[in-house]
Amino acid sequence: MTAIALRMTGADFLKLRRRRWLVLLALFLTFGILLIIYAVTVIQHASDAAKYGPAGGSANFRDGLRVLALFFGPLAAILIGVEAGTGDASAGVFRDLVVTGRSRLALFACRVPAALALCWAVTVSGFVLLLLGTLVFASNLPTPSVSLVLNGLGFTLLGTGMLCAIAVAFASFTTSRPGAIVTLIAWQVVASPLLASISSLGSARKGILSQAIAHFSPVSVEGRHGATVTMSGGTALIVLVLWLAVFLALGAWRTRTMDA
Amino acid sequence: MDPGSTQPAIETTGLTKRFGARTALDGIDLQVPRGCAFGFLGPNGAGKTTIIRTLLGLTHASAGSMHLLGYPVPAERAQALRRVGAIVEEPRFHMHLSGRENLRLVSAVRGPETSDRIDPALARVGLAERAGEKVKSYSMGMRQRLGVARCLLADPLLLILDEPTNGLDPGGIQEFREMIRAMVEQEGRTVFISSHLLDEVEKTCDAAAIVDRGKIVTQGAIADLAAGAGARHELIVGVDDRDRALGLLAASELVLEARPDEEGIRVVLAGEPQTAALLNAQLVGAGVGVTRLEPVRHSLEQRFLQVTSRLDADLVPEAVKV
Repeated sequence: MTAIALRMTGADFLKLRRRRWLVLLALFLTFGILLIIYAVTVIQHASDAAKYGPAGGSANFRDGLRVLALFFGPLAAILIGVEAGTGDASAGVFRDLVVTGRSRLALFACRVPAALALCWAVTVSGFVLLLLGTLVFASNLPTPSVSLVLNGLGFTLLGTGMLCAIAVAFASFTTSRPGAIVTLIAWQVVASPLLASISSLGSARKGILSQAIAHFSPVSVEGRHGATVTMSGGTALIVLVLWLAVFLALGAWRTRTMDA
Repeated sequence: MDPGSTQPAIETTGLTKRFGARTALDGIDLQVPRGCAFGFLGPNGAGKTTIIRTLLGLTHASAGSMHLLGYPVPAERAQALRRVGAIVEEPRFHMHLSGRENLRLVSAVRGPETSDRIDPALARVGLAERAGEKVKSYSMGMRQRLGVARCLLADPLLLILDEPTNGLDPGGIQEFREMIRAMVEQEGRTVFISSHLLDEVEKTCDAAAIVDRGKIVTQGAIADLAAGAGARHELIVGVDDRDRALGLLAASELVLEARPDEEGIRVVLAGEPQTAALLNAQLVGAGVGVTRLEPVRHSLEQRFLQVTSRLDADLVPEAVKV
């Protein structure tokens, strides 16, 4: 990355991190939800230890990981990605950036790492809370291995990062903030699990993004997020690369050709 | 290096922009010399913003060629825009960021050499003290000035300003005018101002082009434009003996035309304005008392209305044919 690309990425990151509602909402989705879950389970355990187990330990880590990596983390990633993709156009400053003479592709390209930086910052904050809760509230329960923790972190970053990058690209393509948010959340929360559960679609379901991401999960997702479509690691990787390539190409094309 | 510091700041040849069947720019030939304030004058919908957007690469031209600061556009667009600052339509910003942060964003895109210009640019437009406040708290006038500060990050040889005084109060307009004049006279920049405000262009600019319905109707120095195509120099002459003076003026080789009017005698000079002194000497030498010798100041507004209404008249037969 050249110095100018770093500066441009830093500038895009500044736009995002100063968007207070966005940061607070993303933190709520990644950190706040887990905090609420811990608060509830700790209170339950304190009130009736026989009926409710401790809030920490391996099993709760796995549950928390599903919540963070497969549901609320991707929602936060979508919000951040869409804001990164549409921020300049909706504020009306895209044309002011274009008239600097800088390539439009460069303007587009810098949005992705900036969005990923914020997305991963809030995601990691949630993961750190999950890990702390797992260890602090473990009581007599077994704690996850270092390998599971690292795999869990990698999986969380993969899932949120994919959604975030695709959201940047899709929002740049549509240039509509509400349209992009509604479409992506509907796809992620409603359409994807629904399509994955339709067995008559057969191997076509391997093309569903969330299924390809779920392939890399260090914990079982079966029964938690709809059907899990079996596929090889190579297939899952190809699906992820294709999703990323197609959406980035669409976003870049639109940014390059639209009237500013 | 600037490839042609002697070449016009803006030069277009046959520049055409079509939106479907509608022609927004119709073969525009425009030359904006360097080191002046140049007005681009026209009624609403005449094509002023379209030519700016086309010059800056915000939209593509349908035909014709363009040069900015001597660089062909769009072939060498990045190089051309390196020393161009522009405000297109109203200046827009990220409202949730401060004025200084907004400039930091553009500085990051323009290049590291521009970061040292942020504070001087803010000071230049009088926003240094409020640069840390969010832009959403700024008045329209402050946003216009912040827009100019954003342009100054490029240390521009050419500033392109689209309706820059829109939304400004009279005090703000006066300040803005002084700033533009200082940029031209003290800093040697070229300022291209599009406006539908005749008075504004007349007071701020050295030269102008009048555009209507996507065509340049006329262009040149403000005084020449106001005077008309022949750039005639006229005087109002007050004398103590009108009939005798009329006879002398009619016979003088310095005069093209002399006719009485309610203010005295209206004289069209055959030469430059300086010949008025010779004419005065002729009259006084012939014993005619001269009480008034005043150049007629033509209004750009008169000329503007004349050329745009002439265009309307020219179009009528074609419309009838259709």
